[in-house]
Amino acid sequence: MTLRDLVLIRLGVAVNLVIGQIVAALLLPVYLDSVGTILVAALVGPRAAIAAGLVSQVLNAVISGNFSWLPFGLVQVVIALYATAAARLGAFRSYATAVPAGLGMGLVAASCSAPISYFLFGGVTAGGVTVVTTVVRALGAPLGVAVASASYATDLLDKTIAFVLVTLLLRSLPRTLATRFPALAR
Amino acid sequence: MSALITLDRVSFVYPGADRPALEEVSLRVAPAEVLLVTGETGAGTSTLLLVATGFAPRVVGGRLLGARDIAARRCTVVFSRPWTQLSGLCSTVRDEVAFGPASRGLPRETVRAAAARAMDALGVAHLAGRDPARLSGGELQRVVVAAALALEPDAIALDDPAAELDPAAADALYAALPGIAASGTAVLLATPDLDRAAPVASRAVVLERGRVVAEGAPGRVLDGTTVAVIARAAGCPPPLPLDVPALARRVAR
Amino acid sequence: MIGYVAGRSILHRAHPYTTLALAGAVLLGAFAMTRPLQVGLLVLGAAGFAALGGGATLRSSAKPALLLALPIWVLLFVLHGLLGPEPRVFFGPVRLSAAGIATALVLGGRVTAIVLAFLTALATTAPHRLVEAMTAGGQPFGRIFLLSSTLTVLPRMRERAALILEAQQCRGLRLGGSPLARLKALGPLALPLVLGALAEVDEQVLALDARGAGDRREGGEGGGGAARRTALDPPRDSTAQRVVRWALLVLVLAAYAWKFRSMRG
Repeated sequence: MTLRDLVLIRLGVAVNLVIGQIVAALLLPVYLDSVGTILVAALVGPRAAIAAGLVSQVLNAVISGNFSWLPFGLVQVVIALYATAAARLGAFRSYATAVPAGLGMGLVAASCSAPISYFLFGGVTAGGVTVVTTVVRALGAPLGVAVASASYATDLLDKTIAFVLVTLLLRSLPRTLATRFPALAR
Repeated sequence: MSALITLDRVSFVYPGADRPALEEVSLRVAPAEVLLVTGETGAGTSTLLLVATGFAPRVVGGRLLGARDIAARRCTVVFSRPWTQLSGLCSTVRDEVAFGPASRGLPRETVRAAAARAMDALGVAHLAGRDPARLSGGELQRVVVAAALALEPDAIALDDPAAELDPAAADALYAALPGIAASGTAVLLATPDLDRAAPVASRAVVLERGRVVAEGAPGRVLDGTTVAVIARAAGCPPPLPLDVPALARRVAR
Repeated sequence: MIGYVAGRSILHRAHPYTTLALAGAVLLGAFAMTRPLQVGLLVLGAAGFAALGGGATLRSSAKPALLLALPIWVLLFVLHGLLGPEPRVFFGPVRLSAAGIATALVLGGRVTAIVLAFLTALATTAPHRLVEAMTAGGQPFGRIFLLSSTLTVLPRMRERAALILEAQQCRGLRLGGSPLARLKALGPLALPLVLGALAEVDEQVLALDARGAGDRREGGEGGGGAARRTALDPPRDSTAQRVVRWALLVLVLAAYAWKFRSMRG
């Protein structure tokens, strides 16, 4: 990796962690904690995106103290790979392609995080998702269904918004800046 | 004396740019001089610094035309925003200044000695144990310059190093420059702050739209600037003001 | 307070790799344990680890660990105890699922042990000692840079996000309203934050390159080429600590081997 890749990964990690602050101020029911990873995937490539995702996971733990969520780092790797593939197929060129690609990302991410949540943590993980899980379970659904439906509901919304936001960012990139990222031209 | 850096009709185009940022610039930088590079925003002063010290196109990309000869063994660069230039690996000023020589893999004692000399030269030795993240902008920028000097470079490029500093901190930084040059490191200084820069510079280059329009002793070269011409026409006695704020102050009196 | 607390305990003096290996072993061990008794022993182990750090460490790691684990315990008892499978047992006035309680104990114990162990490691490992240990151990610059420098850019990024929030509100951006209106406000807030940061990238790369950061693989000049960075104050390692680290690895592997064997049998 070049120094430039390293600095961009650091930027991606910071975006992952700080966008959450803005989302909280807007009282939106999402995390958007992978916008930086997706951005790095589009600007640099898969290795850098995986690094950004994993470092974000570790840093999140260091800041919040919630180290038990480290196994979800696996989801970050999947997000990085999916986002790189989506970028290479041109998903970020228009909103019409970004939305379905984002929904797809949501499906894939939830398919990874739901089993981790179910098998390792019995469905009790980060705040919001667990509340949804508990409500669905209280309505009489089996635990597996409750965990899965909560994961899918949050991830579909979260990743679609993240993809649309990254599309907006890439389209707003000034040309002088955009030419510095060969990965964008592909 | 042989030149440290020689540019012969050098042009430079940034990636994705339509027109060159530098056009047919010829320049020689001698050891131990303070070379002032000035011009309006967008004149190409920052670019000239990066091209002369070898960082463009190697790090920033782009195309270089013409002949460039950099005899300096090591060049380094400092920008205006001190916080973008920290390594992020060090929790004390002492380690931050030592970062450069440590990166070269020099023996521990050599690294510590180089860092101590650089901190002394910039007057930041008393901050050695402090956390860089908790310093004021002025202190931090002097630490950043010390960190660059610890590499013992033949040339250091300072790109508007005091732009983010308060007046007292800016004065302190500029006052250290002649000493740095005297100890054997050529200083390339780009800034529009002529009032502070002219007294410490040994030579000045004025750029306009990427071309050199004047070069020589600071007093003589800067006398020809628009501000100086207006000041003379307005009847100001020498020394003439060098930039618009200074002119305004003089006229207001 | 989460983070490093200065001290002179055995954990503070230990090589950072040893402390992290202990926390890592608790993390990996936790998922190998499937019975309340096993997990209970692991929680005791994590508490013993925290106690090695001395009184100040124990206070700064045990309290946040309990605060973080508490809501998880509550949710676990609701989700598994109240809503768990039959048969039920009476706990005073409430009827709880017997199997659910066992599950909740295992899951809650895992989280408690992991959080306590890592908060202890965090409280007793000075960041610069870890950087020095990695440098002395010949870790690539990129790895050290990503672990250490990302933390230092966060405060500035947060500051900038707060400034943008303020500035856009001054220019009439409304943060309230319908969910869609709030979603639309995301663009004007996120754009300047990210574009501003991207515009500083070149400067940061140049600054690192100019100071010889990175080795050949990372594209830096490395000053003298591919020289290995000098560790200025490497933490002392010992044979005993190396033995401890290898033993932890063996223990973790044994725990998983045992878990998979008992799952089959």
